[in-house]
Amino acid sequence: MKKEFKLSDIPKRNPYQVPDGYFDRLPMRVMERTASRGQEQAWLPNLWRPLRLAVAPLLLMLLFVGVYFYSMPTQPEEQIVNLAAVSDTAIVDYLSTYATLETTDFAELNTLREQELPAEVLNVSATAAEEELEYYNLHDIDY
Amino acid sequence: MKEKNSKYCYSQHLPCSRHTLEDKELLEKFAQPESRNMAFNQLVRKYQEKIYWHIRKMVIDHDDADDLTQDVFLKVWKNLDNFRQDSQLYTWVYRIATNECLSFLSSKKRKFFLPLNDVTAELMEKVESSPELAGDEVQQKLQKAILRLPDKQRLVFNMKYFDEMKYEEMSDILGTSVGALKASYHIAVKKIEEFLKED
Repeated sequence: MKKEFKLSDIPKRNPYQVPDGYFDRLPMRVMERTASRGQEQAWLPNLWRPLRLAVAPLLLMLLFVGVYFYSMPTQPEEQIVNLAAVSDTAIVDYLSTYATLETTDFAELNTLREQELPAEVLNVSATAAEEELEYYNLHDIDY
Repeated sequence: MKEKNSKYCYSQHLPCSRHTLEDKELLEKFAQPESRNMAFNQLVRKYQEKIYWHIRKMVIDHDDADDLTQDVFLKVWKNLDNFRQDSQLYTWVYRIATNECLSFLSSKKRKFFLPLNDVTAELMEKVESSPELAGDEVQQKLQKAILRLPDKQRLVFNMKYFDEMKYEEMSDILGTSVGALKASYHIAVKKIEEFLKED
């Protein structure tokens, strides 16, 4: 049979002890630690100053490298891809508006079909074209 | 030779020391650089026993309690300038001590990977091997029964049963309602009586 047990039956007492003079020494030990903590706190700012001087050039160098790579030109492959996406008509329009055709450009015309490159695109009269052809000695040009 | 806990007064909740400076006066002196160290020394002397025993009953081991008590007062030193005085200094220090205890026990549980049981078993071993409890079977049983409570319930039990603290003060320290504390203490007492019957 279990015994009926009440907490109030047990005498209330602190069963633990501390070493002799513990509470006389404790304040001094705490004060020593607060003093050393103060020294630690003073030591940290002293360390921070040279550390900051060392870190600043490193950060500047990293910034320079970052800016250098950021400002590098884009890859040529991308340009090729972009040009391929432009329609022939748009290229012809652009060239007829902004480009000055050189004699060497005519060489490429042989490879183009007639319907792709109407005569007016060249923006020159037949006479002017002939004069231009006469001016250059085509045999001297190495294609 | 061990020092008896004669200075520790169970029958009163105020610190039982011979020091006379009031908290308000202590804080004023602490705020002045020239009397800062003196005021803090007085503060440690005033509260050290209450704080130590509060911690010791939770961690059992003297060395652990010693380390934690010093850590508590270091935190007090560091943060006393920021103490807003919307609670009593005594309550504030007690709260720091309580948090340190709970953090210490949690970190111990994390180290063991298997929470609760291994830490409780370790604390029980300390109670069994404690020379102060040798030969006092009833006290040893009581201490082991208390250790079987969850940490926060153990805190509540210790503060009410041993320190005879008012529920309102406990509420300030633990941030729990008076009603919840009363219920928690009542349940703790019932559990302890059950544990004692089992043995």
